[in-house]
Amino acid sequence: MINCRTSKDRMIEAFYGGLDPAEKERFDDHLSSCPECASEYSVMAATLKLMDKRERPDPGPEFWDGYWDRLLRRKVWEEAGEGRRPSLGARFLQIFSRLPRWSYQTAGAAALLLVGILIGSRLINPPAPLSTRGAGDSGVVQAENYIERSKILLLGLVNYDAATEDAYAFDLGRKKTMSRELAAEAPAIRGALNERGQKRLRGLVSDLEVIMMQIANLGSGQDVEGVELIKQGVDRRGLFLKIDLDRMGRAARDPVEPASPKGETKLPKKNKI
Amino acid sequence: MDENALIEGMARGDQRAFREFVERYKKKVYYLALDMAGNPVDAEDISQEVFLKVFRSFATFKKGAKLGSWLYRVTYNASIDHLRRKGNVPEPVGDDVLDSLSQGSTGLPSMPVKDPAQSAESSQLQARIARALETVSPQEKAVFLLRHYDGLMLKDIAASLGLSIGSVKSYLFRAVRKLQKELGGSAVISGVEAPHD
Repeated sequence: MINCRTSKDRMIEAFYGGLDPAEKERFDDHLSSCPECASEYSVMAATLKLMDKRERPDPGPEFWDGYWDRLLRRKVWEEAGEGRRPSLGARFLQIFSRLPRWSYQTAGAAALLLVGILIGSRLINPPAPLSTRGAGDSGVVQAENYIERSKILLLGLVNYDAATEDAYAFDLGRKKTMSRELAAEAPAIRGALNERGQKRLRGLVSDLEVIMMQIANLGSGQDVEGVELIKQGVDRRGLFLKIDLDRMGRAARDPVEPASPKGETKLPKKNKI
Repeated sequence: MDENALIEGMARGDQRAFREFVERYKKKVYYLALDMAGNPVDAEDISQEVFLKVFRSFATFKKGAKLGSWLYRVTYNASIDHLRRKGNVPEPVGDDVLDSLSQGSTGLPSMPVKDPAQSAESSQLQARIARALETVSPQEKAVFLLRHYDGLMLKDIAASLGLSIGSVKSYLFRAVRKLQKELGGSAVISGVEAPHD
């Protein structure tokens, strides 16, 4: 016979069937003669049984089917990043470390002069808003353009109702061609988004790329079933929400940028997000 | 491909073996990461990190060790790192403290139980379960998930997470107590019967 302390110590394993037969027998004997332990065990077991009812969201077959491809893309992308030359800043530091002290002092004075000139020139001619800037933000600009075009295509697709709308006007063939082009553009855009703080934008482009590939691979004809699956995928990934969040984030960072004339994303008729 | 062939293939850097490995374990890794991180975007990110880490550092895998246990450990560490980066994880309690606690479950006060008789509706139940799990620390949660949902034995959890068996018992005990407090033990409750096996 075991005591209450040992019984409590063994309760969880008793529930999970982790006790050997002799231990289990002693445990059961104790419970049959100790109402307090029996009650405690009953409560604990009920809680654990309740945990069996827990459901975990399944990301769906298309997520699992594309898992390997996405993993491989990330591997290739990360390896390409590791093999890159040192940054310009790092190379500058290397050069500077080999210079004599007087050169720092001269460079410092020159830099101060330059900063003064820059501040003066900016006060006279303020910089253009972010949306009109060039090279440095080209990756972001490309991504924004990509997202906007993808969104227009997706809206056309998710708002389509095969039961009430003209299949020819819907023109799935053209949408497939556009999707194929968008999917082909995505890797270069993702590759350009390699700075800190661009991870979310890169993730959104990656999500859109997957959906574009799926649209491009829809069957011939109208493939209503395939379109429905794509709609579910867009819904599941919360793509419109992400696109709107991205736009809000940009608006917050760049208040001078004029609001999009299209306003917020019109949610699909059926697949509300 | 059996596990030995898989290990040999991966040790050679064979991409087919790596793919087989990913296909075999992706769900386990993803779901553990999802449970730990709490959202699907982070879960995929963590799970990819895990597989890439495995691919790049397979040399550190000790021959004769269990591949699954090792993978759980990598996933657990990656999840904890992720939570730590987000500032969501307390420092773990030392093994010695946990060992002493595990000597007897009386180390923790008994929790009053609530009556959850009304929690029958599935969506409400899911929300309650999710909230209950949020009250459990990452370490306790990992131990509980591996025991309850993956059916790992205590010694395997200890090997997977690099803890002593005493620590595993303590974490598990504390997790169950916290869940019981949140979900209401007398729950027993709304139709859930205790096993009598």
